[in-house]
Amino acid sequence: MARIPLGQAEELPPGARRLVVHGGIEIGIFNVNGEFRAYRNRCPHQLGPACAGHVTGTLLASRASNWTPQWALADQVLLCPWHQMEFDLTTGHRIRGRGERLHAYRIEQVDGDLYLEL
Amino acid sequence: MAAISERSSTPPDLVVVDCDVHVNEPPQALAPYCDLPWRISLEQLGHVPQRYLDIPGYSVSLALDPPLPARGRHNRTVTTVRQMRDDLDGMSIDIGLLFPDNLLRIAVFPDAAYAAALARAYNAWLAEQWLGREAGLYGAVLAAPQDPQDAAREIRRYGGHDGFKAVFLPCAGLRPLWGHRSYDPIYAAAEDLGLPVMLHSVGLVHPHFPFNVEQFDSQLVRHPIQHEFALMANLMTMVASGVPVRFPKLKIVFTEGGVAWVPYVSWRLDKEYAETRHTAPLLEKPPSHYIRDFYFCTQPIEEPERPQDLVTMIGLFDGAERVLFASDWPHHDFDHPREVLNAPFPPDLKRQIMGANALKLLGIPAPAKRS
Repeated sequence: MARIPLGQAEELPPGARRLVVHGGIEIGIFNVNGEFRAYRNRCPHQLGPACAGHVTGTLLASRASNWTPQWALADQVLLCPWHQMEFDLTTGHRIRGRGERLHAYRIEQVDGDLYLEL
Repeated sequence: MAAISERSSTPPDLVVVDCDVHVNEPPQALAPYCDLPWRISLEQLGHVPQRYLDIPGYSVSLALDPPLPARGRHNRTVTTVRQMRDDLDGMSIDIGLLFPDNLLRIAVFPDAAYAAALARAYNAWLAEQWLGREAGLYGAVLAAPQDPQDAAREIRRYGGHDGFKAVFLPCAGLRPLWGHRSYDPIYAAAEDLGLPVMLHSVGLVHPHFPFNVEQFDSQLVRHPIQHEFALMANLMTMVASGVPVRFPKLKIVFTEGGVAWVPYVSWRLDKEYAETRHTAPLLEKPPSHYIRDFYFCTQPIEEPERPQDLVTMIGLFDGAERVLFASDWPHHDFDHPREVLNAPFPPDLKRQIMGANALKLLGIPAPAKRS
């Protein structure tokens, strides 16, 4: 297992992201409302550069909302720039999809420094 | 470019022909090629702020959905020959057949003279600015449905041009549908010149069927209606009015509707034919026997949860020699070639779909293999 230093956590404030390349693999590093996440930059749909997409929220409706659309998952929905497929950045899962997910990597935070584990 | 981060795993000896890519044709670019007085209109449009596929009097749009952050920003365009060649190279596409962006909606204009002038300007602009400048880029003659006689003249004007390999029949907002006898001059010209006609729709809200989708409150369902329903409606009218009977050498291609609707239409029309054949008296055989000679482009290729179902689907309408790869690059719903390459097609079928069928249909010699 490789452990890649990513620098200080404070250099990646909430809402920010970085793209790193290690061994030819592109990985997006995200600060999602204070939590760090890392995903391979490859959409499970058509292999587009998902991590380059916009981060926003989305519309969801359910019985709990009386079937009224709600603005949900603010600042934690990643839209693949190719086809706008939606992924929940906290889990990597496609929102209400067929079980697709971004390939996730572990991030460790030690004494204010971030490390990517491959 | 950022949108294409990975090259596909296309085998180097596989020829990839993309039957649907789009060039961006702003009004000011066509103005020098447009007859007066409409040249003045295009010059005028060059001085007003333009939005993507939303230019009054040029690319008529009715945006119904409330905007949301980061949504609907998929306004990729290809504006130069070099950019197109680079983009296609990035996807390992050898040959691209060019269609317009804005003039996908040319059929909505009530002024036939204006529509015909736009089509002439586009064809002249494409011939001069796009064709013959980079390897592997070919054009489709835009036929304005409002003036079939002029469209036929355009087909005959460019039919001998090395760069034009097809005729583009716009479907968005069209009335009457392409089966109407008034279009016969277009079909006669295309048949004479050996150019396939390619029907292509686009998103549009408009009074003409099937674009009267104002009651659908979700783009999720409007979009398939605007494409597949439009192709189905046109196919049905063309079969019923006997286009393939009266123009037996004419090749007919349906673009940007995927393929899953083809078996339905074939079987449904055959079922109907058993009872109501007399209402389509030109037909000499069941409808499906004509439909199996039509061609269908892959994009937006269906993505069934069981990939093998796609292979089965193409077999249902004997599509091995009739299905053509298309990406629709650079539009929002484009398909990367590997989406089709990665489907579980047998190798020979893959070669046919990805390029061999199109080379034969369009009369294009096989290009040198990539190094």
